[in-house]
Amino acid sequence: MDNQRFRDEAKRILSEGNVRCLIGYSKDAAGFRVSPLFARTEGDVERLLFSPLCNISLVNYLTLEKGALLESGARAEEEKIAIVARGCDSRALCQILAEKGISRERLIVLGVPCPGVIDLSRIEARFQGRRECAEVTEEGGAYLVRLGNDSYAVPKEELLAEHCKRCSFPNPLVYDVLLGEPVAQRKPSYEDVMAVEAMTLEEKEKFWKEIFGRCLRCYACRNACPLCYCDECVLERLSPQWIQRSVNGGDNLSFHLARAYHLAGRCAGCGECERVCPVNLPLMLLNRKMEKDMQALFGHTAGTDVEQKPVFSTFDRKDPEDFIL
Amino acid sequence: MLKKFDPNIVAFLCNWCSYAGADLTGTSHFHYPENLRAVRVMCTGRINPLFAVAAFRQGADGVLISGCHPGECHYMQGNYLARRKITLFRNLMEFVGISPERLRMSWVSASEGKKFADVVKEVTNKIKELGPLSAFEE
Amino acid sequence: MKIGVYICHCGVNIKAKVNVQKLAKFAEQLPHVRVSKENLYMCSEPGQQMIKKDIEEHGLDRIVVAACSPRMHEITFRNLMKSVGLNPYCLEIANIREHCAWVHEDKMKATKKAQKLVAAAVQKASLLEPLEAKEVDVVPAALVIGGGIAGIQSALDIADAGYQVYLVEKEPSIGGHMIQLDKTFPTLDCSACIMTPKMADAGRHPNIKLFSYSEVVDVKGFVGNFDVTIKKKPRYVDEEKCTACGLCTQYCSVEAPDPFNLNLSKRKCIYIPFPQSVPACYVVDPENCRYLKTKECTQCVEVCKKGPDAIDFNQKEQWVEVKVGAIVVATGYDTFDPALKPEYGYNLYENVITGLEFERLSNAAGPTTGEILIGGKRPKDVVFIQCVGSRDKTVGNEYCSRVCCMYTAKQAHLVREKIPNANITVFYMDVRAFGKGFEEFYDRVKMEGVTYRRGNPSEVYRRGGRLVVKSEDTLRGELVEVEADLVVLATGMVPSRHTSEIVSLLKLSQSPDKFLLEAHPKLRPVDTASDGIFLAGCCQGPKDIPDTVAQGSAAAARALIPLCRGKVTTEAMVSTIREDICRGCGFCVDACPYDAIEFKKVKRAGRQVEVASVNEVLCKGCGVCASVCLSGAAQHKSFKDGQILSVLAALGEEYA
Repeated sequence: MDNQRFRDEAKRILSEGNVRCLIGYSKDAAGFRVSPLFARTEGDVERLLFSPLCNISLVNYLTLEKGALLESGARAEEEKIAIVARGCDSRALCQILAEKGISRERLIVLGVPCPGVIDLSRIEARFQGRRECAEVTEEGGAYLVRLGNDSYAVPKEELLAEHCKRCSFPNPLVYDVLLGEPVAQRKPSYEDVMAVEAMTLEEKEKFWKEIFGRCLRCYACRNACPLCYCDECVLERLSPQWIQRSVNGGDNLSFHLARAYHLAGRCAGCGECERVCPVNLPLMLLNRKMEKDMQALFGHTAGTDVEQKPVFSTFDRKDPEDFIL
Repeated sequence: MLKKFDPNIVAFLCNWCSYAGADLTGTSHFHYPENLRAVRVMCTGRINPLFAVAAFRQGADGVLISGCHPGECHYMQGNYLARRKITLFRNLMEFVGISPERLRMSWVSASEGKKFADVVKEVTNKIKELGPLSAFEE
Repeated sequence: MKIGVYICHCGVNIKAKVNVQKLAKFAEQLPHVRVSKENLYMCSEPGQQMIKKDIEEHGLDRIVVAACSPRMHEITFRNLMKSVGLNPYCLEIANIREHCAWVHEDKMKATKKAQKLVAAAVQKASLLEPLEAKEVDVVPAALVIGGGIAGIQSALDIADAGYQVYLVEKEPSIGGHMIQLDKTFPTLDCSACIMTPKMADAGRHPNIKLFSYSEVVDVKGFVGNFDVTIKKKPRYVDEEKCTACGLCTQYCSVEAPDPFNLNLSKRKCIYIPFPQSVPACYVVDPENCRYLKTKECTQCVEVCKKGPDAIDFNQKEQWVEVKVGAIVVATGYDTFDPALKPEYGYNLYENVITGLEFERLSNAAGPTTGEILIGGKRPKDVVFIQCVGSRDKTVGNEYCSRVCCMYTAKQAHLVREKIPNANITVFYMDVRAFGKGFEEFYDRVKMEGVTYRRGNPSEVYRRGGRLVVKSEDTLRGELVEVEADLVVLATGMVPSRHTSEIVSLLKLSQSPDKFLLEAHPKLRPVDTASDGIFLAGCCQGPKDIPDTVAQGSAAAARALIPLCRGKVTTEAMVSTIREDICRGCGFCVDACPYDAIEFKKVKRAGRQVEVASVNEVLCKGCGVCASVCLSGAAQHKSFKDGQILSVLAALGEEYA
C-alpha cells in the first residue's frame, strides 16, 4: 500500500467540502498499536497510514451512534463520511448496506485490498519489551519490522492474525477508491468448524461448557461487532427479558446462542469479536459454523450483494425438512 | 434414590392447523403423556428459535413446534419461514453439544388428531431417552 | 391490574380428570388475581352472569377462563366482556379440556399440568393490552380486468347489484377466447350466440364503464380504496362517431394477418375484430397501417369524411384514474404453442392445426365460412391428438387442461357432421368426461363412428403426399400408423403471457403451475391473499365455460361483500412496529406475505430516519414480522415476545 498515495487521496476527499471526516488509522507513538483517527484537517491526514498493523475494524463507527455520525435515509446533501475499509470491513459494509443500516450516498469508501493484518499479541510477544514506535511493511512472504535503528524480517505466518489466515474476502466489494492491487483470493475453508463438528455430542458439550464458563458477559464482542447496531440490543433488554444478565453457565450459553443466531447469515467474518474478547473465547467458531451452514443449506453468503434479501425473510419450497415429523 | 425423569416439553402450536389438530386429539380422546404443555400462536412463522432457548432456560427438556403442512399455511408461507429458521437452529444446537432432537417440528393439520397424539408420544419418548437437559442450568 | 380466573367443570368433562377446586384455590395466589372461582358450565347463562357480576363488583380488567378450547368459546367470552364495557381482547383462555382433561389418564398429573396452564394464562393476561379494530370506508365501485366471459359475468353481476364497474379489456373488443369458439360442449350451443347477448348487456349497462383497447398500468392502495390508472390505447377512430358502416375497411390499402382468425386469413389495417364486436367501433392496426408508418395513404380518412368523419390520426394514449373498492382479475389464458412439441410437425405441415384453429375453421364466420377445408380441400381422414402440452413434464406442464377431452369430442362430432364419411380417430391417454352431460356426449360421439385409440402419438410425419400419425395403441398392444389429411392437436391452456405483468401490478402469487394463486384451494377458490382482489376464470386455472361463469359470479359475490357493507373492519390482533427502536432494515417488509409493511420517514433525535410501519388494514396478524425482527421493534399485538416469554417462565415453574 502506497501511503503517500493514500494521504493524497485523503486530502483530495476532505477538500471536496462536504465531507465531515475521514475515518482511518494512525500509529500510536510507541509500540505496535494503531488507533482509529477521525481526520478532518491536513494535519490529521499526515498522521494517517495503512500497514499490516491496522488490525481494528473501523466500520463500527458508522453505525455506532446513529445520530452523531450517520443514519440511513438522510438527504444526500448533508455531510458525507469517508472510511478506510479492508476486505472484511467492506464485506461488513456491504451487509449493512443490504440492511439499509447506512445510506450509500453519504459514504466515501477507500477500499484496501488486504493481504492480512498482524495479531497484536503475537508481535508483542515476539518483540517483548520493545517500546519504540514500530513500522511494519510486508515484503515477499515476510514482515519487515523496524524498531528504532533495528530491522527484522519475520515470516508472515508467525505474526498473521488467525482469522486472516482463513480470509476468503480480501478484496473490497464496496468502494469508491481502491488503494492498491487486488490480492489473491482463497476459497472459503472450514477446518476449524469441522474439527468441532467431528466431536461427539458429549465432547462438544464439554468443550463449550468450559468456554462459556469463562465468559464474563462483558459484551465486548457485541460492542465490537460491526453488525450489532440495534439501538436497544435484545440481549440486554429487561423488557422483555430474553437473556438474564447473571454470569453463569446457562445464561452465558443462552447469550452466545442468541448472538450467533442473530448474526447467522449476517456476520461478515471480520473476527473483531474474538480479537476484543478479554478471555479469548473462540467466538468465530459459532459464526463460521453459521456461515458454513447458510451457504450449504440456503446458498446464502453474507456481505456479498447489497440487493440480497435477508435469509430468514425468504424460503425455498425445497428447503430441507427431513427432520420434520 | 434417583427420581424417574419426567420431562418438561413445551409445544408451540399454530392456531389454524396444529392447535385445532390437538383439539381434535382431545375430542377423540386419544391419550398422550402429560409432559407436553401447549402454547398457542397464530402461525409457526411467529416462532423465533430463541423462544426455544428461553424455554430450555426455564426448565424445558424439549420443544416441539407444530404447524400447517407446506402449502397449507393459513398465512401462505409462515411455515416455510419457520422451517428454515429451525433447520439452522438445530444445527447450532448440535454444534454446541445439545441434541437437536430436543427441538422438533411437525406438520399436523386440523384433521390429524391421531397424528398429533403419535407425535407427542414420539417426542416425549425421545426426550426421556435423552434425559434431562443440563446445559442451561446455572 | 385485577385478574378474574374462572375454572369451568364442563359438567364432568373437565372435573373428572382435573381437580377444579384445587385449581381455583391455586389460582387465588397467582400474581394480580383478585377473584378465582369455579362453575359447572362457564359458557352457560349463570356462568357468564357470575363473571359479569365480578367484573362490575371487583373492577376486574383482565379475565382468564380455564375451560374448553378457545376455538369453542373465545367469541362467547369476548362478547360478554364487550357487553360490560371491558375490552374484548383482555381475555386469555387456558385449554384444560381438549389439551388436558380429555387426553390424560392420571388425575394428579393432569391437575399439575392444568396448574401450569392456568399460571401461564394468568401471566399472559397480565400483559395483554386493550385492542381496537379499525373501520375504513369502501369506494362503491369495482374494477374488472379482462373482458372475456369471466370478466363479463363478474361485471354484470356487480353492476346489476347496483355498483359502478370499470371493465378493462386490452383488445379492441370484449369477448376473449369464447367468442372465437364454434359450438360448445356438451350442448352444442353456438358460442357466439350465447355470448353476444351478454356482451351487448355489458356494453350498454348503465353501471358498466367499458375501457376497451385499454390496459391497467398501476394499482395503489388497499381493499376499499384502490387507486387505479388505466391507459387507453389510441384506436385512431372516435368511438362516439363510428357507425361501424365498414366503408373504411373496403378502401384500406393494406392487408395483414388476422390474429382473431389465428393468422389463417387476412384483414385490412382498419378493421373491426369481428362483426358482433362490443364496442362496435373500428380500430387501426398501428403495426401495419401505411399512414402511421410513412404518412402515405389516407383512403380511410377520405371515405369516412363523407359520412361520420370518425377517423382521427391525432389520437394519443390517454391515462384515466379511477377509484374502486374491489378488483376482479379475469385475464384468461393462452393456448399452448405446439412448436414446443416439434415431433407433431405443427410448423412443418399446413395440415397440422391446433384446437383453436379448428374452431375458427368450423366457425361460420371464420376464414373458411364454416367448412373444414385444408388447402382448399375437405379432409377425408382426420386424426385428433389429445394432451398436447398438458400432462407433459417435458414441456413443463404437469397439469391437465381440463377442457381438451371434451372439446376434442365436440370437434370430432363437428367433423362427422360436416364430412359424413370422414374417418375420424382420436388418440387419447385418458378421456375425462367429468361434467354434467359430458359422459353422455362422449358416448354419442363414439356412436357416431369416431374411433378412440388409447396412446400418446410419438410423431407426425409426411409419407407420400399424406401425413402419418405414429402411435402405440396401448389397449391393443401394437404400434399403429394412421394416415391423415388433417391432424388436430388438442393444445392445452397455459397461463396468459401477461401473467407476470398482472402479478407485479397487484402483487399476486402464482401456483407451481404458474396460474394465479387462490387464497385457499378448497375454501377460498376465488379470493387471493390480498383482501379485495379476486380471481375469476382461467387465469386461476384451466376450466370450461360453465365453471368460468360460476367463478365469475362467485368473484362478483365476494367483491360485493365489502362494497355492500360500505366499510371494511380490520383485524384487531395485528402487528405493530415501534418507531423508536426500528432500525429500518426491512427484514419484516421482505417477510410479510401480504405486503402490509412499508417504510415511512419519522424524526428521531432530531433527524429523519426511515422506519417500517404496518398497514393495519392489510395486516392479517401472522406475526412473521415479529419473528424476523432483530431489534424487537416488530411485535404482534396479542402475541408479543414479552407475553410469550412470560408464558414460558410460568410453564417452567414447579408448583405445589
